[in-house]
Amino acid sequence: MQLETLQEIIKKKINKSEFAIITNLETGDSEIFELNKPTGKNFEKYKDQINGFYKNKKNGIIENTNIFVETYIRPIKVVIVGAVHIAQYLIDYAKSLNFEITVIDPRGYFATKQRFPDIKIINKWPDEAFKEIDTNSNTALIALTHDPKIDDPALQHAIKKKFYYIGALGSKKTHNNRCERLKNAGYNEGEIDSIKGPIGIKLGGKSAPEIALSIIAQLVSETYKK
Amino acid sequence: MKNSFDEKILEEANDWVKANQKVVLATVIQTWGSSPRPTGSRMIVNENGDFSGSVSGGCVESAVVRECIGILKENKLFKKIEFKVSNESAWEVGLACGGEIAVYIEQIN
Repeated sequence: MQLETLQEIIKKKINKSEFAIITNLETGDSEIFELNKPTGKNFEKYKDQINGFYKNKKNGIIENTNIFVETYIRPIKVVIVGAVHIAQYLIDYAKSLNFEITVIDPRGYFATKQRFPDIKIINKWPDEAFKEIDTNSNTALIALTHDPKIDDPALQHAIKKKFYYIGALGSKKTHNNRCERLKNAGYNEGEIDSIKGPIGIKLGGKSAPEIALSIIAQLVSETYKK
Repeated sequence: MKNSFDEKILEEANDWVKANQKVVLATVIQTWGSSPRPTGSRMIVNENGDFSGSVSGGCVESAVVRECIGILKENKLFKKIEFKVSNESAWEVGLACGGEIAVYIEQIN
């Protein structure tokens, strides 16, 4: 690979733009592929097949060719509501897992830059905060405040936007009360069941890092089920 | 696994080049059966045999390092290597898991 190509790849990663690296394994040529941009003449005839790999977010060799395609997909957006202790550990774990985290907490004394360096923090109530984030069925929500005033509007937003993962911290009792509130607010059983509560897989741990680990494990597992 | 924007191996490769090292990039391009690391996994190797990242669970890294140093010595730009199920004669470079992988190694130039 040419150094120039390598440095271009690094730039694209910093800008978080999606791309693929295509390599001809017979000639050693490689270049960056982007959707709707012209392909170099060495790769032109494989364009449709490369597009197919790109759209399916696949890595691999195109059948019966020597062309290797490697796709770089933007990180999955994860919104954490509640700038609490568990959130700090979640952010640590998420660092190497290709998740892009935003923390929402209207309580300014929780959501400070000092407690959450390098993370996008929105110091607003969820209804306002979600206006600043583009969300869809590729987004995940982790609600950690177990305060209905803060968690519930976020959960409702996530249900409406069909987030692929919605988890809410709290005991079984807290969760039952939460489900009851959502039911009264007009949400149906399927929608309410899409919330993982109590959040996380069963690890048995009780400390903040242990709970964060159980949440991140569940999130990764659900990401692969998408 | 999709390639992660968080994985920093290519950035590290760039740092090594900046430090005037010769760098070979190794990429898993194909896997068969149960292989330890998915297609797209990477490691980098310099002329001294220092390496970072991985292409397997430690099964074939030493052989990849040798091959990478090999292409630097021969001044070849790239090479494709296949690793198959381990057997007695090649215990060191086989994959104990019974999988097979193909690794593409290329100089950064």
